[in-house]
Amino acid sequence: MSRDEIKDVLLEIIADIDEEADFASLDADAPLRDQLDLDSMDFLDIVMELRKRYKLQIPEDEYPQLATLTSCVNYLEPKLQNV
Amino acid sequence: MAAYQLLIIGGGLSGIAAGIRAARFGLKTLILEQHTLPGGLNSYYLRQGRLLETGLHAMTNFAPPGAKQAPLNRLFRQLHLSRKRFEFHEQLGSEIRFAGRSLRFGNDSALLEAAIDREFPEAVDRFRQLKEAIAACDPFAAAPWRSARQFLAEHLRHPLLEDMLLLPLMIYGNAEEHDMDLGQFVIMFRAVFEEGFFRPGGTMREFLDLLVRQYREFGGELRYRSPVAAIETDGERVVGVRLEDGEVLSADTVLSTAGIPETMRLSGWQGDRTRYAGRMSFMETISFVPRANAASLAQGRTIVFYHNGPRLDYRRPEDYLDTSWGVICFPGNFSGLPPEDPAQIRVTNTASYPRWHGLAAEAYGPVKERWTQAAVIASEEIVGNYRPSIVYQDSFTPVTIERFTRKAEGAVYGSGIKIRTGATPWANLFIAGTDQGYLGIVGAMLSGITIVNQHVLR
Repeated sequence: MSRDEIKDVLLEIIADIDEEADFASLDADAPLRDQLDLDSMDFLDIVMELRKRYKLQIPEDEYPQLATLTSCVNYLEPKLQNV
Repeated sequence: MAAYQLLIIGGGLSGIAAGIRAARFGLKTLILEQHTLPGGLNSYYLRQGRLLETGLHAMTNFAPPGAKQAPLNRLFRQLHLSRKRFEFHEQLGSEIRFAGRSLRFGNDSALLEAAIDREFPEAVDRFRQLKEAIAACDPFAAAPWRSARQFLAEHLRHPLLEDMLLLPLMIYGNAEEHDMDLGQFVIMFRAVFEEGFFRPGGTMREFLDLLVRQYREFGGELRYRSPVAAIETDGERVVGVRLEDGEVLSADTVLSTAGIPETMRLSGWQGDRTRYAGRMSFMETISFVPRANAASLAQGRTIVFYHNGPRLDYRRPEDYLDTSWGVICFPGNFSGLPPEDPAQIRVTNTASYPRWHGLAAEAYGPVKERWTQAAVIASEEIVGNYRPSIVYQDSFTPVTIERFTRKAEGAVYGSGIKIRTGATPWANLFIAGTDQGYLGIVGAMLSGITIVNQHVLR
């Protein structure tokens, strides 16, 4: 998957979790949780959805690497290169 | 490999919500319900073509769509249900009545403050400070038990107002007698006085159908008429359950929503079960009266919490029923509901499980009839007479509640001692629902969700 494709997948997953998510003014380098007012339960859903779709196991101590949209893409790019 | 990754005992709100979470992320999940209908404590039954709800007076925790961190909106996201396709009807307004003193409140939290300013002007500044102290509390942080009564007394120094505020919060969510844990008080204060009451469009049947449909769409399985006889264990783990008909089902993880005492009995969990038997149970009487009569009784109110007597005595009564305090609910009185004729009046009072349980079969009917009358007469002193216009009436007691829900001693709010983590002596057996500690319809569902998130999904 390309970086753009990964980004689209992430936004699609978030939109599916939160029907009110507004991406219009999303800053890719600022924390997702603050900008979208998500909580740890929503965050778990992003991780679970990635696991369901791509059989991707993300250990809890690596969750901080999913803080921003850019850091998510950086983290997922090598893991999804063959998808 | 086990037949199921997750087995859930109980198809009530916590069980179904737990099931939706697990099934949504691909776990092979089965819910086992003993009854022929879902819902547990918040279900319904049919009598003479009428649908009667068992638990619901109102849902608490009303929140507008934008408030993302509000429990109600978190619930919708976690269950993957669209708020936009859901009908909300807010309360018209409610009242707390203590021997001639009255406080009206609604979903606008400023109403209660204004009511206190009118009725108890000497206490309104202290009430504002109380609200600030409540706002500063984190009821979900692990903390030892603290007395809500003492907290209220320190802030308000006004015993009557303290009791008036406690009554709705205790009746709608306190398993303990006399006092309440501060954390639980804060959760209930926010749920009732700051967020407020609403009900979904339709009846409890449509609401439960929606949840069960969501669960099944994610691939979850649900079996009715399937009472569990035992939770099978092997050393430090549970391996599955045995049904009353003898069938054995294996599972990686078991989640029990049957309460701590019942889960102890099913699993052979060593300990004193009576310690976890809740003492607060209730009798409810549902009367149907022509709509024209009901309107003059309700006078624009959705729920009336009443109390006659010196101090609020929240405990199991000595007698069958204590009609000196209780709740009168007009379930048709939510904004935007289609007119219902006849309309319902629900009266709820605390009841003694041992008294009702000890009755011989032939005595139960006449005693129930007598106390049904007593409950209605007590409510007439608050809202006006309606006995002559009743077209249909039914009531249920702690014994009925225990039979249909397996909640020991009919304790609708479960054990006074909660297990917040959901953990049991077995590494893969968890509890959710009433005895985990989040109460009410929204709370029960968040309980199921939380336990699955913490122990099953990660």
